Amino acid sequence: MTDSPSETTEAPNTLGTFAADFAALVGAERWTADHGTVHVYLSRDQWVAAATAARDETELAFFSFLSAVDWAKEVAVGEPADDVENLDERYEVLCRLSSGTDDTALILSTSLAKDDAWLDSLVSVYAGAAWHERETAEMFGIDFHGHPNLINLYLPQEFEGHPLRKSFALGAREVKPWPGKVDVEELPSTENVEAAAQTDGEGS
Amino acid sequence: MIVAAVPFALWLAAKAVVTLGLMLGVVLVVIWAELKWSAHIQSRVGPWYVGGRYGWLHPIAEALKFLQKEDLVPEAADDKVFRLAPYVMLAGTIATFAIIPIGPTVVARDLDIGIFYLLAISSLSTLGVLMAGWSSANKYSLIGGVRAGAQLIAYELPLILALVAVAIQAGTLSLNGIVAAQTETLFTIGGFDVALPFALSGQFIGFVVFIIASLAELNRTPFDLPLAESELTMGYVTEYSGLRFSMFFLGEYAGVVAMAAVISTVYLGGYWMPGISDDALDWLGPFILVGKIFFIVFLYIWFRWTWPRIREDQLQRMAWKWLIPLTLFNIMATATLKVVL
Amino acid sequence: MTHLDHRGIVEVSDGGVSVELKGETMTLNIGPQHPSTHGVLRLIAEVDGERIARLDPAIGYMHRGKEKLAEARTYAQITALINRIDWVSGFANEVAFIRAVEELVGVEPTPRAQYIRLILTELTRISNHLVFASSYPLELGGATALMWAFREREHIMDVIESVTGGRFHTNFNRVGGVNPVAGGGKSQKKVSLDLPAGFYAAVENAMDRAEVACDELDQLVTGNEIIHMRAKGVGIITKEDALAYGISGPNARASGVDFDLRIQEDSLLPYGDFDFDVITGENGDSFDRYLVRILEIRESIKIVRQAIGSVPDGPLQAKVPRVLKVPPGTAYVRAENPKGEMGYYIVSQGGRIPYRLKIRSASFSNISIMSKIAVGQLIPDLVATMGSLDFVLGDVDR
Repeated sequence: MTDSPSETTEAPNTLGTFAADFAALVGAERWTADHGTVHVYLSRDQWVAAATAARDETELAFFSFLSAVDWAKEVAVGEPADDVENLDERYEVLCRLSSGTDDTALILSTSLAKDDAWLDSLVSVYAGAAWHERETAEMFGIDFHGHPNLINLYLPQEFEGHPLRKSFALGAREVKPWPGKVDVEELPSTENVEAAAQTDGEGS
Repeated sequence: MIVAAVPFALWLAAKAVVTLGLMLGVVLVVIWAELKWSAHIQSRVGPWYVGGRYGWLHPIAEALKFLQKEDLVPEAADDKVFRLAPYVMLAGTIATFAIIPIGPTVVARDLDIGIFYLLAISSLSTLGVLMAGWSSANKYSLIGGVRAGAQLIAYELPLILALVAVAIQAGTLSLNGIVAAQTETLFTIGGFDVALPFALSGQFIGFVVFIIASLAELNRTPFDLPLAESELTMGYVTEYSGLRFSMFFLGEYAGVVAMAAVISTVYLGGYWMPGISDDALDWLGPFILVGKIFFIVFLYIWFRWTWPRIREDQLQRMAWKWLIPLTLFNIMATATLKVVL
Repeated sequence: MTHLDHRGIVEVSDGGVSVELKGETMTLNIGPQHPSTHGVLRLIAEVDGERIARLDPAIGYMHRGKEKLAEARTYAQITALINRIDWVSGFANEVAFIRAVEELVGVEPTPRAQYIRLILTELTRISNHLVFASSYPLELGGATALMWAFREREHIMDVIESVTGGRFHTNFNRVGGVNPVAGGGKSQKKVSLDLPAGFYAAVENAMDRAEVACDELDQLVTGNEIIHMRAKGVGIITKEDALAYGISGPNARASGVDFDLRIQEDSLLPYGDFDFDVITGENGDSFDRYLVRILEIRESIKIVRQAIGSVPDGPLQAKVPRVLKVPPGTAYVRAENPKGEMGYYIVSQGGRIPYRLKIRSASFSNISIMSKIAVGQLIPDLVATMGSLDFVLGDVDR
């Protein structure tokens, strides 16, 4: 175990070490550190404790954002997920915390079953989470237990549906399928990608 | 003169029309000046097209525009008070003009208690503001009206106290008398009789305090809290439109001219200017007075487009902690000097 | 005023303007149409006289659902959307998004493109801060600074327009660089577009003018006693609160958070090549927030002056496939926007369209603290505080 707080507060040599250290600190089983972005995957009951540890022991005092991803097999909008057959349908809640002094940062991630989508609120740990949780609640229909004022932030209170769920159709696309008629130039199809692949970057 | 031949009522009416016409003419020019000077302060051009050159007809065009607009009365408003308020405000300011002397013998009414009348009548316009604020049934208007009331109480006192010192020095309450007092020779240098206006002879503190307090009385920046566009949208005029709004607009600028006229008269020697005979002053006097009015108006406009707005509590603190003690000191000093000299 | 009751106007709405007063406090509805709410922010304030007992910001009047719209658009189309998030600094919005896509695709932008991005981002920052520094006095009742600073800002807008073709919505970034060609369609010949002739001189001139604007603002606003009376000690945000609420950018730096993404290791643009200071305040009050921005304009001018002397030659865009397919992966990339941390969390599933795009905008977090710091303030203080946070509703609602 190399997870003493003094070591982790320094900028880590590699994101991987930092991620592994933090995962060990909060008892997370899985972490990733791709594309300069550290994800630490938690279970629901580790959520608040992990955020507290991030704040108090890793000095990630800056609350960046909290949001969610709807992993669904059926999508009403856009392209479906990569491996749809084996996709585990769930809501993934993400919370990014970062340092106020250097570029240390991580994203806490937890998965919620679609029929049991609730999570403990982080408001008591990061006051700034209040609005983000309200936004996530209305957009994904996730309940945050212990939130002081979990009402719709953007939408009218009587609005039905959760717009960022993949099952929620985008009205504009229903009315006018994409690409619309105004797109005069035909969009290159994905089939002849190879042929069109290498166009000149600078132009002639 | 021809005075005796004309019935009193007609003469009165003629005086009223002439005074009103003259002063409202000046008010229109002041509105144009505000548009134009503020534009130049902000490195803009300002009114340009109306009237062919320099947008000189712009105030008229604005008035016509307001006339065309719908005169809205909010449903929840107190109709009668709401409709009456702009006229109360306008009447209060216009009535001030009656006692401003514009020449040695040219004055609508030379009152013995001129200053007393002046202070009484000028508070009337704030009543109009309070009426507007209360009757609009709008919370912004209400706050604006209440602010105007609080401001009146705080700034009427420095105004009165500053004028008390002037009355002591001049030994009269009549505005004609005050102007006459400023024409008296103070001392002689090399054969020249030197007479100084009160602003330069003894009442400088009073002059400065009066200008500051008059800004508050007129609701002009930095004391435009009753309007406070960025906080209260437009304060007590939020709900007004059309003609009634233009009455407030006119009232505001009539107030500016009236106050500038009072300052010119009381502190800057009014229609009087050294080296001009009394006979010539009868017809030159108005122009001299208007020149002085425009000097004060220029100060007002300059202040307005340079300074931000102060806060209500700061405004009160300034009045009670600085201006009132200063004017009290000024009264004592003036009275002492009056006795000693 | 009993006549109000039997007309039945009492319960127009809870936050309505024309309702009867009940009890000690009244509900004052500030916005969504109000001169100082920068668009359509609505603040439902419970006021006791002029003192605010409770403040409830209501947002969403400008919610355009960009995150949802992004799920139905290709990456190239999304840049046109995200430009309009914070329209006062449109160009700066694009950079972090494009860098996020580049990160996922694995393309390195060309050095020349990076420098052009940096120059334009800093120009945007100067422009944004000039808009702030000149409209802030307006909130406090002084109108003249606005005109003076906007006059000088126009030079910057001209420069941005000369390079990108747009003043606000530049849509100039491409994966791998910046837009290299103009003209379009199959029949037209593509025209190479680089920095326009006279660009450096124009930038130099714009920087001179921006300095003039700063000097004028210093004369008219910074030293003004009334501004000090109105802004000093008003709307204090502590360092701890700033971090916990996710307040970023100049607002956080005014509270003493010495943090600027431009000089961090993961900085998106080559800021390391230049010499400039990160400005921090001490008191975290409205005046410090104003001052930090004024000083940041001067620092940005320094950066731009250094940058235009050292723009490397080379192509404007790295080689990228015509049809951009982004490999599966997730990345969060953030940039120091003029208003604070602007970040994009992209979930790609390997297609032309992101599976999910989370937009982390600065203003959203920045104004979420309003309901905390406004309590106990007077209405004028509320306006002074709100203005000093420098938010744009497009950036709040997205």
